Amino acid sequence: MVSLIMTRNVKAFLRDREPFTFIRRLGGTTGMLGLILLIFWAVISIVGPAIVPYSATELHVDVAYSPPSLGHMLGTDQYGRDMLSRIIIGSRSILTTALGIAILSLVAGIFIGFTAGYVGGFVDEVIMRFMDMFMSIPSLLLAMVMLGIVIKPGIWSVMLIIAIVYSPRTARVARSTLLEYKSREFVDAARIRGESALYIMFGEVFPNCLGPLIVEGTARFAYGIMTIASLGFLGVGLRPPTPDWGLMIAENKDLLLQAPWTVIFPAAAVASLVIGASLFTEFVDRYIRRV
Amino acid sequence: MWIGIVKRMCFMLFTLLVASIIVFILLEITPGDVAKIILGQHATEEALAALRDKMGLNRSPAIRYLSWLNQMLHGNFGSSLYMTGVKIGPLVLRRAVNSSLLALASLVFFVPLSLWLGTIAAMKDDTWIGSLISISGLLALSIPSFITGIGLIFMFSLVFPILPASSNVPPGTTIFQNLERLVLPAVSVSLVMFGYVTRMTQSSMVSVLRSDYVRAAFLKGLPRKYVIYVHALKNGLLPSITVIGMNIGWLFGGLIVVESLFGYPGIGQLLVLGLQSRDIPLVEVIMLLIIALYMLANFLTDLVYSLLDPRINMRRQ
Repeated sequence: MVSLIMTRNVKAFLRDREPFTFIRRLGGTTGMLGLILLIFWAVISIVGPAIVPYSATELHVDVAYSPPSLGHMLGTDQYGRDMLSRIIIGSRSILTTALGIAILSLVAGIFIGFTAGYVGGFVDEVIMRFMDMFMSIPSLLLAMVMLGIVIKPGIWSVMLIIAIVYSPRTARVARSTLLEYKSREFVDAARIRGESALYIMFGEVFPNCLGPLIVEGTARFAYGIMTIASLGFLGVGLRPPTPDWGLMIAENKDLLLQAPWTVIFPAAAVASLVIGASLFTEFVDRYIRRV
Repeated sequence: MWIGIVKRMCFMLFTLLVASIIVFILLEITPGDVAKIILGQHATEEALAALRDKMGLNRSPAIRYLSWLNQMLHGNFGSSLYMTGVKIGPLVLRRAVNSSLLALASLVFFVPLSLWLGTIAAMKDDTWIGSLISISGLLALSIPSFITGIGLIFMFSLVFPILPASSNVPPGTTIFQNLERLVLPAVSVSLVMFGYVTRMTQSSMVSVLRSDYVRAAFLKGLPRKYVIYVHALKNGLLPSITVIGMNIGWLFGGLIVVESLFGYPGIGQLLVLGLQSRDIPLVEVIMLLIIALYMLANFLTDLVYSLLDPRINMRRQ
């Protein structure tokens, strides 16, 4: 029942914001540029394995440090691996991880924030104070140390740890949107009808909170990309020989002056993806707040 | 007011205590056999036993935490595990001074610039200048600082070789004798904050400029500059102060990556080295220091804000 009514309300939410209006308002804005960048990387990551000219991990020491040429369009790194292939394959892990972070942290945040906000009182106070304490540790620092204790970090541990670090922040957003609607008449009506707390939270309040939550989700996606790249760069993220963008930059950074292509191209890839995600987030935010 | 401050400080101390527990659990309890992690998989049984004995790993976690906390409170930070014989206290202090110099340099660089640009952008909100500043702010804040740093090295050390790419201080000198090595890292760290503060100033100034009291001042016939710089700026800059304060926290994240990129001898680089070499006592001290500074920065921001804006009362928070 909950899920049925939920889909109905969610459909109503989407109907109010028709896709046509979305696209029309997207036209001619920087949001379009952001969406194009995101779609570009999404397509690259999906068709990646089919189009890469070389293997991303095989070593060819004889062609190490070749500058960009027709054979290797973006040059090769210290082991002679093709930079273009490594960047293409690397887009897969960063995109899936960032998407996972956005979804996981949002789900966890909704769960925590709604519980705290709905129950209220002492429970709310304890949960939110605990979240405040978690947030008193800078997020990159916390993620670094948590990853530091994982012996061999993979995509899953990176995803899970960043999602954990982000969930107090999403919980705050979820809680404040819930509180905005908690004292409205339709919630009172549902309570008097004798609906369960679960239904009121997810059937009645949740559809109204969708807007801010979607914005928070896209923002977490953009932050996630930044954090993944930074952790890879600091050497606590994915391990070699994975073609992780941040890791590629870290491996070659000492040769930035001698073989700039080994650093500049992955850096440009990170920059373009992050810019795309931020521009798109900004657009979604403005669209949902209807500014 | 004073009651509020005291309350806040008590909560800060409590948070610091909880944070120290989190740090201790993360670094010394969760990983299982700490001695094996520090010495690696191939360590001999005697070496492991010796290290366990030295670090007191045979005792129960609660006792270990309390004695560790006791040592910390007495200012006894112990010595580094990796760099044998190096005392952690003086080492971290030296590095922290370098980091504060970098942070200070970037604050001096970005705060006036971003407040000024944000105000200009608000005055020209509906023209291309406003959008240009707003978009550049968004780009600046969304690119991770190490990417900015790489771009800067590429431009100013490779294409136009005018600044050093590495900020490594030559042995026997201090950073004060090598101030040109501070420029690129300081700019890389500040760009993120520059973006935030510019955009915040812009949006808050826009709403202030649309408010009734500013319109009244304009209609009264006061000069435009006077209204903007005297009447509007007072309220328009309030949110920017919060953002600057919040960004002190971001600064630490930025410092960690930027210091590693440039090899700048600061606290962030030391932390990364400590994590890589599994120097747990060193990592613990640095983390607690950063958390304490971060909380202090947040506290001071709220304090300054409540002093500047009488509508906000410290007691209510």
